[in-house]
Parts: sequence; structure tokens; C-alpha cells
Amino acid sequence: MYSWIWRHLPGSRAVKLLEALLLVAAVVALLMLVAFPWVEPRLPFNDVTAG
Amino acid sequence: MSHVQSPVRGSPPSRGRRDPVRTTVRGLGELLLTAGLVVLLFVFYEAYVTDWTSAQKQRQATAKLDDTWRNGRGLVERPVHGAGIAKMYIPAFGPDFVFTVLQGTDQDVLAVGPGHYEGTAGPGQLGNFGVAGHRVGKGSPFNSLDLLASCDAIVVEAADHWYVYRVLPLQGESDGWAAGKGTQPQCRGVAPLPGHYANVVGKTIVLPNQVDVIAPVPGQPGRSPVNRLITLTTCNPQFSARERLIVHGVLVASYRKADGKRPVELTAGA
Repeated sequence: MYSWIWRHLPGSRAVKLLEALLLVAAVVALLMLVAFPWVEPRLPFNDVTAG
Repeated sequence: MSHVQSPVRGSPPSRGRRDPVRTTVRGLGELLLTAGLVVLLFVFYEAYVTDWTSAQKQRQATAKLDDTWRNGRGLVERPVHGAGIAKMYIPAFGPDFVFTVLQGTDQDVLAVGPGHYEGTAGPGQLGNFGVAGHRVGKGSPFNSLDLLASCDAIVVEAADHWYVYRVLPLQGESDGWAAGKGTQPQCRGVAPLPGHYANVVGKTIVLPNQVDVIAPVPGQPGRSPVNRLITLTTCNPQFSARERLIVHGVLVASYRKADGKRPVELTAGA
């Protein structure tokens, strides 16, 4: 999977590295800003109210 | 290691790019590693990132409450859901421990700060002022609730009054209270409560469905209150929602804010 992505990134080695870092940053942002806030209230481990 | 020149340049035999089993196993492995990283990232999000976003919301709520009080609009019969109603100080957690308590206990409200159980008594009122707060993440207002000792102060600042609550004697401390811990200066006004309150101790761990801990008389729903209590609830143990950690306190003093002085409980740090 990762080697496939690496092979399909265009440019020189340095450019590829930059693109890979950007991809990682984009995925992390997507998780932090969209996925986690959505999934969090559906998980049962941070209920603090009685009843 | 000696360098052996491969006869066919560019495709060393160890790559095995065309072996479907190898490709599948490697892909599966990478997927599992990725899933593990995502879970770790979620823990980081839950424990830290939510703190940053909640701190921002808490600041805004505090600014709004200050503004409301400055304009003399703090005294309302039924506070709006989600609006700040009071500030809570727990000197045992440090002089900078202050949170604006909001009306309501749903997820959106609790992401801003501790929430007042709607339908329970207000600050300083007869009955039970019930407040829920997050233990982990979202500012973690009640992270260290388990460290509270009996007689520790929980100071609530409302629109016109300061209310000083103190944690009730803990389980097992009631016997010999008057001659023992009850003699310490910070315990003035704190004693095991008589009558229907006999089973109310400073700290308990209950199951999540035990809603009667925030009843006017804790544990005895439907009974009329004769004391002014505060009850804090959070999840227990940390990172789990299996149980609830409950802290009960009793009102020992109240001061009019018009008199212009901060409670000694805050300045002395007791």
C-alpha cells in the first residue's frame, strides 16, 4: 500500500518526500477535525452523568 | 558484506513484486499498523486536542457570564440551557482552578465545562446542586475528583453570592468525627449528616444508572431536603464509563458579593 503510493508520487525523491508528508498531514487533519469529533459521542467511555 | 552485482539491474530477486501472497500479506500488515496508529492518534485527540478546543469554548462562556453579571442580568429564575450560571473554584486543585458551570448536562454543554443537572437545586439553594464534569479531555475539570479529602472546599460563585461547600466526611470517617478530624479548623460546619442523610458520605462510586445521587436527599428520591448540598459526578475509573465517581459536599458559608470581598477559603487556599 505505502510502497504503491510512493511509486505513484511524481517528482524527485525530495519532492516525493514533501508530498508524502503533505498526505500524512491531510489524513491526520481529516481524522482530527472530522472523523474523531463524529465518532467520539458514539463511544461509551466518557459519559460523566448519572442516569 | 560484499556487494554482489545483480545480473538483471533494477529488479533484485528479493522484491517479489509479482507474488500475490506476499503483496496481500504485506498490505494487510500495513493496514493493521495504520489502524494501530489511528487508535493512538484517537487517544491523543481525546486526551489533548479536546482540551484545546474546550479551553477556547470555556473562555468564551466565562467572558459571556462576566458580561451578564456586569450588566446585572445574572438573576434569572430559569437559566437558559447552555448558558453559564456560576463559577466553581476548588482550592485543593490549585489557585487557578476555576471553571464556569453551564446549564445542562448533554455532550455539547459538557464540552464547554461542568454542567448543572437541570431540575436539581441551584447554587446555595435548599436541596442538591448537581454538577457533572469530564474526567479526561474536554478540559478535564473533574480529573482529580478522587483526590478530594473531607472538608476540602468547593467554592461556587453565583450572580450575587459566594457559596462555600465542603466535602462531607468520607466512608469510615464518621465514627469519632467530633473528636477526630472534625476538630480541624477547615472542618468547621462539616459533620456526618443525621436522619435521612445518614448514608450520604463525601465520596462514593456508583453505577451509571444510580441517578438518585443527585436527588434532593441523595439516595432517597422524593424526600424533601433539609440541607443544602452539592454533588459532583464524573466517570470512573479514568478512561472508562463503567462507574461514576460521586462527591457530596455541604454548604458551610455564604457571602454576599455586594460586600466586595473574596471568600477567605479562596485567599487562604484552605
